[in-house]
Amino acid sequence: MVWAVAIASFLASAVEFVEAFTIVLVVGVTINWRSAIAGSIAAAVSLAAIIAVFGTAIVYYVPIDLLRLIVGFILILFGMKWLKKAILRYSGLKALHDEEAIFEETMAEMRARGEVTTRILPSAVALAFKAVLLEGMEVAFIVITFGSSAAAQGSGIASAAIGATVAGLLVLLVGALVRSPLKQVPENTLKFVVGIMLTTFGTFWTVEGLHGSWPFADAFLLVLAAIYLLASFAFITWLKGQQRPALAQQTAK
Amino acid sequence: MKIIKAVYDFLVGDMIILVGMALALLLLTLLQTIEALHSYTGAVLVVITLLVLGITLRRELVGRK
Repeated sequence: MVWAVAIASFLASAVEFVEAFTIVLVVGVTINWRSAIAGSIAAAVSLAAIIAVFGTAIVYYVPIDLLRLIVGFILILFGMKWLKKAILRYSGLKALHDEEAIFEETMAEMRARGEVTTRILPSAVALAFKAVLLEGMEVAFIVITFGSSAAAQGSGIASAAIGATVAGLLVLLVGALVRSPLKQVPENTLKFVVGIMLTTFGTFWTVEGLHGSWPFADAFLLVLAAIYLLASFAFITWLKGQQRPALAQQTAK
Repeated sequence: MKIIKAVYDFLVGDMIILVGMALALLLLTLLQTIEALHSYTGAVLVVITLLVLGITLRRELVGRK
């Protein structure tokens, strides 16, 4: 199994499943669990089908160099998006994702609609389906991109899919035990780490797709990750430092 | 248009990152035509990635001041 792929997929999926779980929990608590579970299962099956169809097609029909270039480039974009948001949250320029607040807000909306029943309610199923599908699309995207680019090293898609599945089951298990929004999960830390990994792998595969090479081959992934990690810490420190004079000026006024 | 915007928001959601990295890819493709510069492809990509990240973070900072 390609461990790096499985770990990246696990971490990214954990974050997305926690967000989806919050909405599913609202549906389960305010309406009923049958609807919440039905919607979640339907979305999970849809996602599995998307991964199976696109993942297989991409690996079989696209030449590996072109695949690495395109996927690598897309992963850089995706990774930079995650990394930028995580850096902004760490530096205080963006609010942390508050699962509890989202839970309270969505629950208030659902209670206002006054839908309380024991039977399967289509609108509740749709809400659970939409939440799991939307958050799961990012998981599917990471599984397909990571898995297809790592296909040359072995069971890339399978490794990524296993990582995602384990994350999903773990979130479900913890959620079933806790039965409240998973606010203790260090979401921003996970997003930061995933952002670093996506950007690292994206950079690595883009260069390989351009027929370039890296010193020490695959081992250079660690060097790349370290470079991006150090640079990110430097950006966070810089942003925090830039905010202090601005806050001081505002206080003086 | 809505679909393009949805895909853009899903993938990157930041024009500086998209344009910056697209230009980087173009530059790297051009570099591939010069034999002597092949070995610098990786370094150039890393530097441009960090530069683009820095520019977009600065824009966020300025926008929030």
